[in-house]
Amino acid sequence: MTADRRPEQDPRHPDEHFEPYELDASIPWPLLGISIALGVWGAATLFDTRRHEERAQVERVEDTQLATGQAVEPGHALFEASCATCHQPDGLGIRGAVPPLAGSPFVRNGPELVANIMLRGIDGPIRVNDSLYDGHMPSFASVFTDVEVAELASYVTSRWGESNRALEAAEVAELRGRVADLGSFRGGAGVAEDTGFALDEQPTFASGTSQPVSPEISALIFEGRGGQWSCASCHGDLGQGRENTPRLAGLPTDYIVKQLGDFAAGRRINESMAVVVAELSNEEKRALGVYYAGLRVPSNARPDLGGDLERGEQLAREGDWSLTVPSCFSCHGPSGFGVATEFPPLAAQHAPYTASQLAAWAGGQRTNSSLDLMEHISSALSAADRRAVADYLASLPPVPAGSGDMLAEQGEGQ
Amino acid sequence: MSSETEQDVPAKPASPRKGRLVKSLIFAGGGTLIIAALGALLYESGLIPGLQRGDQTVASGYFQPPSNDEMPDGAFGDSVRRGQAIFMNTATNASQHVGNGLSCANCHLGEGRQPYSAPMWAAWGRYPQYRAKNDQINTMEDRVMGCFTFSMNAQHSVSGEPPPHGDDIYRDLQSYFYWLASGAPNNTQMEGGGFGTVPKTELGYSPERGQEVFAANCAVCHAGDGQGQKDINGRYVFPPLWGPGSYNWGAGMARINTAAAFIQNNMPLSRPGTLTDQEAWDVAAYINSFERPKDARQGDMTVEETRRLFHDGDDIYYGQEVNGVLLGVGTPDPVRPVGAPE
Repeated sequence: MTADRRPEQDPRHPDEHFEPYELDASIPWPLLGISIALGVWGAATLFDTRRHEERAQVERVEDTQLATGQAVEPGHALFEASCATCHQPDGLGIRGAVPPLAGSPFVRNGPELVANIMLRGIDGPIRVNDSLYDGHMPSFASVFTDVEVAELASYVTSRWGESNRALEAAEVAELRGRVADLGSFRGGAGVAEDTGFALDEQPTFASGTSQPVSPEISALIFEGRGGQWSCASCHGDLGQGRENTPRLAGLPTDYIVKQLGDFAAGRRINESMAVVVAELSNEEKRALGVYYAGLRVPSNARPDLGGDLERGEQLAREGDWSLTVPSCFSCHGPSGFGVATEFPPLAAQHAPYTASQLAAWAGGQRTNSSLDLMEHISSALSAADRRAVADYLASLPPVPAGSGDMLAEQGEGQ
Repeated sequence: MSSETEQDVPAKPASPRKGRLVKSLIFAGGGTLIIAALGALLYESGLIPGLQRGDQTVASGYFQPPSNDEMPDGAFGDSVRRGQAIFMNTATNASQHVGNGLSCANCHLGEGRQPYSAPMWAAWGRYPQYRAKNDQINTMEDRVMGCFTFSMNAQHSVSGEPPPHGDDIYRDLQSYFYWLASGAPNNTQMEGGGFGTVPKTELGYSPERGQEVFAANCAVCHAGDGQGQKDINGRYVFPPLWGPGSYNWGAGMARINTAAAFIQNNMPLSRPGTLTDQEAWDVAAYINSFERPKDARQGDMTVEETRRLFHDGDDIYYGQEVNGVLLGVGTPDPVRPVGAPE
């Protein structure tokens, strides 16, 4: 590259007339290239990081506002995440299925009644304005803290109930203690009766007749038979389950019967269950299904797998069409309450159990899904996605179990 | 290899060979660094197809509409949100004009984004358009009015008709479509638009064969009687495919070719493309061989007159006898309009 201009000389005799000189050396092109490339890279990285910082700044401001109660609308984000799936972002509900909040006399009566309904849930027919609804709303007691209930109730009543009263967390705590053992409101009539508010004319709640659990079935559930485990020894006294043992409370009878049959037939592989179901008659399977379908128990499931809840919520509510994975809710119902026999409730199920079942479908240990739907969906999900969606579903309130005539069975197992 | 030779001539000026080696090493290192830096830059900015980070959707060959978290703020964003709410939950948000149990989103999957599910990003740039169906130039508003008239069966709704021209329902829906089509070409047929087509088969179509396909692939969700399934609160999770709660005889989906294409490209949900051409035709024929609400255009005409005017030459059972029953008469009118207070 650089031309050597020094005159020829004998290396043994150093040049006495040496003059300093400068080589005609331009900066080598690779060096230039490296500097330019690094410069561009650096600038781009700086720009990129600045955007991250801006976003982080916005988030910090929002967090501070939430923490100090200065957010423009506290409760709004919670409403969008937890209430809007049924009542809709505009509070108009679903025609014929979910009552509106906008214009509802229940909401007009102020935040305390709204908080009460959130904590207890409703199970029974309800009239809102001119329309009748079946009225199955879960209890959110296991889902929200006192502060969150207070914020949501205040938000709902200030947006749709023309009330500016901000409910205090302390009031919610007191209310929570008072209603803890009361169970769900028995329809709109139950709300009116228990709270004394004027709520138009409410349909009467028909308390169904139910058959008590027979002593034999009760023994199966709580004591086991012939040296076999009892159901309750793993699934809990109230069918609430824990960790890898599923919650059974509120699962439909037909679904439970089908699963027991699938364990027996090897379509679901679980050594403990295989032993247990081997001794069960068809009548006993059904009786157990009826028992657990009618149980309503607060959720003890928590998102404890460290999954990405935002991703989980996205999978549950919107799905990921790039993976050909439809949303969970598009088949299991808009709140994960389940649809008939084939699509069981997912809400409030234990995260380790849900994730393990998704893994079992993907790995071929569980093969009992119609049309192999769950096998394909599970295989399309990464392990992180499975944890994410299992955690999100565990954070949801439990399904308000069964229809009105199941309600009376609640006391039997307790 | 050259270390010994170098030691032999320590006093000599740097051997040109040695310089070349070091230089090439520097050049090679520098080149690698440049490539690495530029490569990293390309990767970071997501310019390499197929090598994107996990949180981005895999690039498909279809137009990519914006996702919900990209919705704009302000008055236009509010309109887009209202439009999406109408689209997803039509019976509530356009309550006066929906006379069945369906929503727009039942046939336009993925919130109107899914290719070959008549995605709205592909439809937006196709109007105004001449349509033989009503022999006139149709704006998008006219087109959506047709959806309310036929697919949403407005004749049995509280108002008894689709939203009138200029209604906010159209404004908000069009805001939503327009936003979904952000960056899409205009007046062009886009890949993934419409429902696609299924090639005709030698056997033709048969509801008898379709019955078996239905039982094996569809009944788990839409129920054995095709009436769909609801959750515990009575909210439709799986839409009814025939009968009083479904689209009426004037809807595009009542044509067997349209239904076959939708079914093959989208059903069963999460497993599209698993039905053969023959199965798709047969099951579409089965679904469309049951009675449904009458054609909203029938008025005082007989079924035969309506058939000749509107259905002649179509792949549809309207006005034909299937299993000895004349189809097209319509399900009985509801006692009171669908969704009216009790």
